[in-house]
Amino acid sequence: MFSFVVKKLGFIKSIPLTALIFDSGIKLWQYIFEPKKLILLDSLEDIVLSWEGVDISLHKFGGTQFNFHKNEIGHVHSNGILDILFDRETKNNLILEGKAEQHHVFEKSGWISFYIKSEADIQPAAHLLRESYLRIAQKST
Amino acid sequence: MNPSSKSNKVLGFIISNLIILAIIAINRSLHVEKTGVLVYSQFVILPMLMGIISAWFWRDYKLKTKTIVGYAVINSLLAIALSYLFLGEGVICLIIVSPLILVFVITGSFIGKMMFRKKNQTLNVSIVSLLFMVFVVDSISDHHYENMVSDEIIINAPASTIWKNVVAFEKINAPNQYWLFKIGMPSPKQTTVTGYHNGAGRKCIFSNGYTFDEKIVAFDVNKNLTFDIVAQPQDPEIMGHIDIKRGQFLLKDNGNGTTTLIGNSWYKLRVFPIWYYDVWAESITRNVHLRVMDHIKELSEQ
Repeated sequence: MFSFVVKKLGFIKSIPLTALIFDSGIKLWQYIFEPKKLILLDSLEDIVLSWEGVDISLHKFGGTQFNFHKNEIGHVHSNGILDILFDRETKNNLILEGKAEQHHVFEKSGWISFYIKSEADIQPAAHLLRESYLRIAQKST
Repeated sequence: MNPSSKSNKVLGFIISNLIILAIIAINRSLHVEKTGVLVYSQFVILPMLMGIISAWFWRDYKLKTKTIVGYAVINSLLAIALSYLFLGEGVICLIIVSPLILVFVITGSFIGKMMFRKKNQTLNVSIVSLLFMVFVVDSISDHHYENMVSDEIIINAPASTIWKNVVAFEKINAPNQYWLFKIGMPSPKQTTVTGYHNGAGRKCIFSNGYTFDEKIVAFDVNKNLTFDIVAQPQDPEIMGHIDIKRGQFLLKDNGNGTTTLIGNSWYKLRVFPIWYYDVWAESITRNVHLRVMDHIKELSEQ
């Protein structure tokens, strides 16, 4: 469903708030059918927010965006898809090592996706975000 | 948790609902809504505003996502209950509107969560003012939307046999198949006419006794029956939010002993946003068509 909407109806995200509303629909779905997923995403949020200088905002295409001084570290959609932008080389290495997958939409970019399905995925997800955080923090200093 | 923090949480439900009710009441008392039109911002902006207001009361609690969604669901159900009690909306209407209210209250709650994290009062006031401005502009703007729904079935009978069943028919006793009819929405039951000619009166009677008064404006025997709806019931359910303007049955001889029966209906929606409500209007109109047309088919093929 998510994949169909994102790939086939992606154009509607240009309408203000549409993506946020879609994400709210996902949250409601998760609340009813998979509430554990919401708890998992909160635990990831708690980990990332414990890092210095990190804040969160709503991602323009729905979900929670992690920022370091207004620079995006990555974002997680409410269905558990974590998206992070790396340089191409890092992306290729992460995919080769099996630590991440091609981005669910933009395959020919530096974006990676990581699918959070269970508690065991939280630490690897946090690790990916930490890598992005350190890169951004290093650039900023 | 101390008592004051608990009461603050409760205030998040009460105050947000009271503010939204007050806005709707003021809007109605100023007669901003013309001819009972419900504008899109009542279903989009106000629920979001409700979520934002409640998030303000909950801002210091560091609520988890699951809790916020749960609270937003409670808030939405409260709003729906209040709409039933104070705004006179019908149960089926509220069932239809509830997904819209739910997702927008949830959206507002999370927008509010992020807004109040930043403690930027200028930004917060700007966002709320902007939403309110959109609501005001939308309320005073003209809204007009008309649509036509067309359905067709093939009947194993000549047009001359079908025609008399198209003009008027006895009670439909078949059980309802459409889920909204099953849960209580009135469905078409019977049609009567005062005469078999142009200008004659026609009545479409629904299962709850509601009657649509119609006037035949085209009476082309075995080919075309068109009628304008001259009076329709205004109940708190769907009929209060949609004006059925015209209905039509067209019969086309297929040359093989069968006839294609086409049912057309023209309606005007008085509830917005269209992208949401027209899906429902089309579905309901289509199922009204099919219930009548299936009955005509059954009568004609006997």
